[in-house]
Amino acid sequence: MGRNRAIRSFDPRKTGQPLDLFTATDTRTPVIIELLRCPWIVRGSDLEHGDPSPAGTDSGLGGKRREWGIEVVWDGERAAPRSFLLDGRRYPVDAVVQTWAIERAWWDLRRRTSRRCFRVLARGGLYDLAYDRIANRWLLTGIVD
Amino acid sequence: MAGFVHLHVHSHFSFMDGAASPAALLQHAAGYGMGALALTDHQGLYGAIRFYRAALEAGVKPIIGAEIVIEAAGLKADAAIEGDLPPGLRLPLSAPVGFGRAAGAGFHLTLLAQDITGYRNLCRLLSRTHVRAGDEPSVVTLADLEQCSDGLIGLSGCPCGEAGSAVLTGLGARSERALRRLARCFAPGNFYVELMHLLTPDSPRYIASLVALAGRCGLPVVATNNVHYAKRRDFRIHDVLASAGARTMLPGPYDRPNAELWLKPAGEMRRLFADVPQACDATLEIAERCSLDLGLGSFHFPAADVPRGETPYSVLSKAAWRGLEQRYRPVTPEAVRRLQYELSVIQDLGFPEYFLTVKDIVDFAKREGIRCSGRGSAGDSIVTYVLGITDADPIAHDLLFERFLNPERRQMPDIDVDFDSRRRDEVIAYIYERFGHDHVAMVATVNTMTARSAVRTAAKALGHTPDEINAFSRYLPWVSAHRLPEVLETYPECRDHPLLAPKHQLLVELATELDHTPMHLGTHLGGFIITREPIDSWMPLQWAAKGVVVSQYDKDDIEALGLVKMDILGLRTHSAISDTVRMARERVGEAAVPEPFELPHDDPRVYATIAAADTVGMFQLESSGQRNLAMRLKERDFEDIIAAISLFRPGPLEAEMITPFIRRRHGIEPVTVPHPAMGEVLRSSYGVIVYQEQVLQVAQAVAGFTLAEADSLRRAMTKGRSRAAMEAIKTHFVERACSLGVTHDVAEEVFRQLEGFAAYGFCKAHAACFAVVSYATAWLKTYYPAEFASAILNNEPMGFYSPRVVLDDVRRHGISVLPPHINASSAEFTVEQDGGAVRVGLGSLLHMTSRLLSVLEAERAVRPFADLADFLKRTRAEEPAARSLIRVGALDGLGMTDAGRPPTRDEMLALVPELKAVIARQGVAGDDTLLIAPARARGPVDTGHVSGWTPAMRLSAELECLGLAITAHPLSLARADLERRGVTWARDLPACDDRQRIRVCGVRERAQTPRTRSGKRTCFLTMEDPTGLIDVVVFEDALNRYGDVIVKNRAYLVEGMLQNNCERGIALIAELIEPYVVRDDQRELVRLRRGVGAGPLGPTLGGAGAPESECGEAIA
Repeated sequence: MGRNRAIRSFDPRKTGQPLDLFTATDTRTPVIIELLRCPWIVRGSDLEHGDPSPAGTDSGLGGKRREWGIEVVWDGERAAPRSFLLDGRRYPVDAVVQTWAIERAWWDLRRRTSRRCFRVLARGGLYDLAYDRIANRWLLTGIVD
Repeated sequence: MAGFVHLHVHSHFSFMDGAASPAALLQHAAGYGMGALALTDHQGLYGAIRFYRAALEAGVKPIIGAEIVIEAAGLKADAAIEGDLPPGLRLPLSAPVGFGRAAGAGFHLTLLAQDITGYRNLCRLLSRTHVRAGDEPSVVTLADLEQCSDGLIGLSGCPCGEAGSAVLTGLGARSERALRRLARCFAPGNFYVELMHLLTPDSPRYIASLVALAGRCGLPVVATNNVHYAKRRDFRIHDVLASAGARTMLPGPYDRPNAELWLKPAGEMRRLFADVPQACDATLEIAERCSLDLGLGSFHFPAADVPRGETPYSVLSKAAWRGLEQRYRPVTPEAVRRLQYELSVIQDLGFPEYFLTVKDIVDFAKREGIRCSGRGSAGDSIVTYVLGITDADPIAHDLLFERFLNPERRQMPDIDVDFDSRRRDEVIAYIYERFGHDHVAMVATVNTMTARSAVRTAAKALGHTPDEINAFSRYLPWVSAHRLPEVLETYPECRDHPLLAPKHQLLVELATELDHTPMHLGTHLGGFIITREPIDSWMPLQWAAKGVVVSQYDKDDIEALGLVKMDILGLRTHSAISDTVRMARERVGEAAVPEPFELPHDDPRVYATIAAADTVGMFQLESSGQRNLAMRLKERDFEDIIAAISLFRPGPLEAEMITPFIRRRHGIEPVTVPHPAMGEVLRSSYGVIVYQEQVLQVAQAVAGFTLAEADSLRRAMTKGRSRAAMEAIKTHFVERACSLGVTHDVAEEVFRQLEGFAAYGFCKAHAACFAVVSYATAWLKTYYPAEFASAILNNEPMGFYSPRVVLDDVRRHGISVLPPHINASSAEFTVEQDGGAVRVGLGSLLHMTSRLLSVLEAERAVRPFADLADFLKRTRAEEPAARSLIRVGALDGLGMTDAGRPPTRDEMLALVPELKAVIARQGVAGDDTLLIAPARARGPVDTGHVSGWTPAMRLSAELECLGLAITAHPLSLARADLERRGVTWARDLPACDDRQRIRVCGVRERAQTPRTRSGKRTCFLTMEDPTGLIDVVVFEDALNRYGDVIVKNRAYLVEGMLQNNCERGIALIAELIEPYVVRDDQRELVRLRRGVGAGPLGPTLGGAGAPESECGEAIA
């Protein structure tokens, strides 16, 4: 089954998909619908191939990503982003869906990647925020489509 | 207490994987307020004991465990192994983990010892897995786990465990089967599903799936973090170690996505497992359940052979009294009193079985004629002396039992015995037979990284080529890795070192951080553990690379467990003594040569030899430092030998004892002591506290301490005490002294001297035991120099000097050195001409094989070899060996060419391939082959010698093929040139004035840079010219200028100021060092390689001529 076909045939009502972001169908469906309706969403399939990051760094999530510098308000108590600013609008973080860390190619100054990533649920969809430990700045590394 | 305990932790004893020391892990755990910490290294308990002890000291509860590799548990009945499954259902196996032959590839499982039963079972399980017959892999079987699981808690393992791996592969059913099967191996409630949130995108799914499976199986879950380093920034070291260990480049076998395997604080772990708080609670519960007490502090002796109706004490006592009658003729009341006292102390402390064990082994050696001698503080005991374990009379030499066994302190006695190294294996075989293979194992040593190995490890991981790696490590001195940047920056031999390039900054940084990381587990040279119970209930065992079963613990661990460790050390000097005696008796008769260890120590000729510094080959007296000391000390009796051995040791050197000792001995300064009683005690050492035993005697004489109290005082003073603690000791001493009528000032002055010397004194008993062997070698060298030199050369490598120097020394004693010859030489060096000549043996010849040696001797016994063809035909010599034999002249003069002369070496070398071809084709070659097939080679270069070679050519070949200079000393060929340059010869140095400016030339023998108290670097260079040895001191400023000349060359011209006085002896203080290229009168080059060393400066002791403050602390 090809990738696009798999996306098209995705059944939101069925449980047990590989990535269980939500515990029940009734919570998952509105999110996906909202995501698909969102006017500024960038579908992965619409992105150019290759590594688009300006510094030539690998986001750790494949090449089909764009990275924007972004302003994030940090919640020290929860050790997670509280909100972020995108296109002049503030997006409060409703929930942290997933978090991971990337530390790659540390022996190669040109290829080195060191990030702490957060997949957050905010108004309009799921966003991947990453704190780049080398550049000491926040990035929006993608929007899960 | 923190709300989390780490239960899956690797230290750097997970060789080439873990990046933190147990101490660092404990420090962080204690800092986080964690009440307990586990250590679970791969496939073993290598660091368990030191972790256990450090944890108790740090106030953290130690949990001992291991991460083992286990066979598959979740296979269906129709599949015996992973390979039986269809490809889509197979799980990926991780890279092998574990060290050496204990490494295994399979699924990981974490085990924790709940109590002593669990610990013993863990040891048994690991030993059973690692010590299997043949090449069976080190993988735990489910059957073994079931048998040994009592007292163990199991955790299902990391993502390389079967359950975790199956979940990640999407094989939930397999994971469930594995969990159920593994759970059945443990007692109910003792198996947990291990959850790890390693902050990868897969982590939430991984945890959710395992929690669901655990729920279905009714198993509890527990959170861990697979800790491999104490703090996050050390992830680089983990990656480097894993890569170098797997012989791959970075990112290495694991290809870790991030750096999250650090010892996280409890809050961080709780946050990661916020959805599964019970997993964190379980860590506390497990920590609570684990309470292992290893019972450190008690002793466990092997079973002694005691007849019915006897006790170990009665057997020991009877043997000792029998021995007393043999050793003391007549038996003196003092000896009787001393023996009674020592036996009662040994009985009170509960050590008779230990003494009987040592006696048993020594008795066997003596029965079999294996030369042996005890050493160390055991020489302080009359019991060891009368049992025949040691050979120095403790009463005659004023040795104190309390220094060996202090009745106030119950410490495991340590008796080290040296055995003839050639027959040591017989002793070892006896130990295995006597105590049982299940009760004996060898002690391990942990080899850690120094600058060189750290650079090589980091360079391998960074993907450098072997040539680059060699270039990086070449010329690096033997220093700790943490000193690497400083060494590269400041050491002259590192000038222009490739690592100084900015692009290698990361490599240097990584190498520095690798300092002291364990690299591999070695086998102790002679340490054996002997236990009463089966040894695998005490410690895990495994195969060592050299094919013996070795413990996973080192000597400190064994000592901490209270087990008996015997050092069965091989001493080549014993082999050399035995060989000398045998050769001498063969020549002059059995009765003419007495047993050297039973000689009275009163022969003036022997002392004259030592005092003349003619000590090459003598045990403990031959180093350049000792020769220099001999010139100053002028030994006159046995006590002087003991003093010489003691004075040239790190402690006495650091305390600068030699100078006052020598000055007082020669009357340059008066002997002054603060108290007359002290003068009496220190009479033999001119008022200087040289021996540890003297500290005890002074405390007894001045302050009325018992010897046991005095020994406790000495120990207290030698350990790094706080100022307050030392003040308390001082007050106690002064009070006791004053109560005996000593004035306060005098008491304080005595204490000041004790304090200054207590830490630096040397154990006299150890020196006395060595002195017996030293005297024996000195006596043999004096009366049988040819046999003695041959014996030393036959037992190389041994001693301080290379074989070349030993042979040169023989020549200087007027003994001829006969070249090797196939019709005269055997494998070993032999004595000819009634002790007037030494024939060079063929055993150490380049490319020589043991097959060829035995065939050669057998064929020669039939008839001598006629020529090269005859030799090749009858021995079928391999071509490389044949070429070496020709090059060193072992076939000179054999055969005849059509020119009416024997063939030259060039002609023979040219003929070898043709003759080999003829022999191979026809099976035979006629004796007249040389006449039929004249060689296509140049004619004789030097018609004056049968070989056709010039002396320079012959010498170069000898140095390359034998490492020896047989024709002549290399520099004797350049004599005319050297005399033109105004060089002073070694033999003329004693006649030169003190502070005279001279120039010498020599080939390098030793170059050492022991650490000094001042921190300055001083090189002690030992060189040799045709007339003798030259000691050169290169102080730091000269070393900075000429260090690279020393390291990169083999012969030098040295100019400087001669030091020649009775205080400092004879040595040249270098001011200018130039390389010297050795050429003969015809300007032909002499190649020194193999025969003369080059390379980095060594750290060992042996330097001569410098102030003691510049030669402190060297050999351990």
